[in-house]
Amino acid sequence: MSSATRAPRSLQKRVTLLVIALLALVWLVTAVVTWRDVRHELDELLDSHLAQAAALLVVQQAAESEDDHPSDAPVLHRYATQVSFQVWHEGRLAQRSVNAPPTPLLPIGAAFQTGFRTLTVADTDWRVFAAHGAERDVQVFVAERVDSRHSILWAVLRGTLGPLALSLPLLALAAWWAVRQGMAPMRRLSQSLASRSPHALEPLPAHDAPAEMQPMLAALNGLFERITSMVTAERRFTADAAHELRTPIAAIRTQAQVALGEADSALRRHALQATLQGCDRATRLVAQLLMLSRLEASQGGNTALPEAAPITDLSNLARRVLADTAQDAVARGQTLSLDSSAACPVHADDSLAAALLRNLLDNALRYSPNGAQVRVCVQPLDDRVRLRVDDSGPGLAEADLQRLGERFFRVLGNGQSGSGLGWSIVRRIAAVQGAQVRAQRSPDLGGLRVEVDWPAA
Amino acid sequence: MRILLAEDDPLLGDGLRAGLRQMGFQVDWVRDGEAAARELRAEPYAAAVLDLGLPLKDGMDVLADTRRAGLTLPILVLTARDAVPDRIRGLDIGADDYVVKPVDLHELAARLRALVRRAHGQPQECLQANGLVLDAAARTVARAGAGEADAPTNDITLSTREFDLLHALMLNAGRVLSREQLEQHLYSWGQEVDSNAVEVHIHHLRRKLGADAIRTVRGVGYLVPREA
Repeated sequence: MSSATRAPRSLQKRVTLLVIALLALVWLVTAVVTWRDVRHELDELLDSHLAQAAALLVVQQAAESEDDHPSDAPVLHRYATQVSFQVWHEGRLAQRSVNAPPTPLLPIGAAFQTGFRTLTVADTDWRVFAAHGAERDVQVFVAERVDSRHSILWAVLRGTLGPLALSLPLLALAAWWAVRQGMAPMRRLSQSLASRSPHALEPLPAHDAPAEMQPMLAALNGLFERITSMVTAERRFTADAAHELRTPIAAIRTQAQVALGEADSALRRHALQATLQGCDRATRLVAQLLMLSRLEASQGGNTALPEAAPITDLSNLARRVLADTAQDAVARGQTLSLDSSAACPVHADDSLAAALLRNLLDNALRYSPNGAQVRVCVQPLDDRVRLRVDDSGPGLAEADLQRLGERFFRVLGNGQSGSGLGWSIVRRIAAVQGAQVRAQRSPDLGGLRVEVDWPAA
Repeated sequence: MRILLAEDDPLLGDGLRAGLRQMGFQVDWVRDGEAAARELRAEPYAAAVLDLGLPLKDGMDVLADTRRAGLTLPILVLTARDAVPDRIRGLDIGADDYVVKPVDLHELAARLRALVRRAHGQPQECLQANGLVLDAAARTVARAGAGEADAPTNDITLSTREFDLLHALMLNAGRVLSREQLEQHLYSWGQEVDSNAVEVHIHHLRRKLGADAIRTVRGVGYLVPREA
C-alpha cells in the first residue's frame, strides 16, 4: 500500500547524494589524516624546543652554581606566559619563571626522572620536559601550555581544511549540475515518451542516444514494431471481415425486400428461401471469422509442444466428421469415401483437428460439381500420420495454389459463395497443432489433393 | 427501362434482379466481368449496375473499357469497397454513381431513374412532352394542364409494357426510335417478343392517350414530339 503511493525515487537525486556523500567522506578522511600528521610534527618540533631550552638552563645553572639565591626570570614577551621553567640545584629552587609554582612540578632528588610528561597544574595542562646536569645536582623542568599547541594545530587545520569545507557546497552544486547534464539524454527520452500520443507507434530515434540506453531503446523499438504489425493485422482483419459481411447482408436485405414487394406467391417463396440461405451463409462466415480470430489470439499463448497435446485417434475422428458431412454430399449426388486403417493416434486437439477436416471437406464438396468424388484417407507413416483429401473437382491453377490460405482469397468464377476463410482456418489449425499442410493436383481424381501430416503419438 | 446487372454473388444477384423487376426495370444479369463488358457493348442498355469484385475481369477494368469504347450510358457502381479512395477512383474512371452494399432497393431504383433521366438531359423527375406528363417513379401518366398532377382521376391506366414504351419515347422526345430499338428497350433476355408487339402497344397507347400522342414516321419508326 505505502509502496504504491510513494513517489518514485529520482535517479538524479540518488546519484547527486551519493557523489556528495563520497566527497564529504573523502574530506573527513583528509581532515583526520592531516590532523594526526600535523599534531605529530608539531609535538616533535615543540618537544625538541623544550629539550633545547632545558639543555640551555642546565648549562647555565652549572656555570652559576655558586649563586644560591633563587631568582625569577623576567617576562620578556607576552608569549613567555605560554612557557615556564624551574631550575633546582641540590634540592633547592635556583631559578624559575614567574608563572612557575615554587614547588617542584615533579618529584626531585632521587625520584627524579628525565623525559616528557603531561600534567595538570592549577587547571592548566602542561607539557613538561625534565632534564638534569651531568652530576644530577641540577634538575630542570621546562613546561609549555598544552592549549598553545592545540591552538597552533587548529590554526593549521583551519588554514588547510577551511577552504575545502567552504568549497563542499560548491562541489555539491557542481556534482548536481554534472549529474543533471549526464542525465539529459534520459530526460529527453522520457519527455519524448510522455509527449507521444497513445497511438504513436513509430520507433524512437536511437542514433544519438548514449550506449547505456541503446539496449533499452532497441527493446522499446522492437516492442513498437511488434505492436505495429499486430495492430495492422488486426485492422486489416476487421476491414476484410466487414467487407466480407457486406455482400451476404446486402443479399439478405435485397431478398427480404423482394419478398415484401412480391405479389406472386411462388416468387415470394423463392425470395424468402434465398433470404434464409443468405442468413445461413452469414452465420457460417461469422463462425469462421470467430474461429479464425480465436486461433490467432491463441497463437501467442499456445506454444505448447505437439507432444503436450492430447492424443486423438485420427481414423475415428475422420469417421465422425465424414458421418456429419455425408448428408451434404448425398444431397448433391457427390460420393464421399473414407479409407483408413486401424487406430492412428496423433498428438492433436480433437475439436481443432475436426474443424480442420470439416473445412477441407467443405471446400472439396463446395467447389466440386454435382456427382463428384471426394476421398479421405488416413494412413500411418514412420513417425507421422497422413490425412489426405482428394477430390475430382476442377482443382486449382499453380498460381492459385500459391495463394491458398491468404485470408479472403478465393478462386473467382466458380459460382460458389465461399469467403476464402476455410483455408486460413486449416493453415492456422495446422500451425497451432504442429501439423504440415500441402496442396497439389490430385493424381488420382484430377482435382485438388490436400495432405496434412500430424506428429504420431 | 432495360438495365444490365453485373454481380457475381448468386444470392445478391438473384435478389437484385427480382427487386429491380418489381420496380419496373427489365434486368439482364451477368456474373463475371468479361460478360459484362461484352454485353454493355452489344446491347443498348439504359443503365448498368456494376459490382467491382467481379471474376475474370475486375469491375474497374470493365468500367474503364466501356468508357474507352465511347459508351456513355449511366453506370452505377455497387460494391462492398467503401474506402473514400475507392469511391474517388471509381467516379474518376467513369462511374456515374457509387453505392456501397447493402442498398435499399427503392433507393437503387431511384438512383437508376435519376441517372437515366440526367443522361437524357431531363432535370426533373417528371417527363413532359406533347401535352403528357410521365412520372417514372410513380409509374403514372397524366395529361398536362388537366388539373393538379396528383389528382388520381387524371391518371391514365397503362400496362407495364405500354408505360415502358411511352417512357422510352418520352425520354427521347423529338427523336425517332425504330421498332428494333423499342423492342430492345422493352424486353430482357429470354422474353418472347411477338413480331408485331410494338405495333400492338402503340395502338393501345394511341387509344388511351389520343391519336396524336405518338407519331409514326413511315419506314423509320415512332416519335413523341418535343414540347413546343
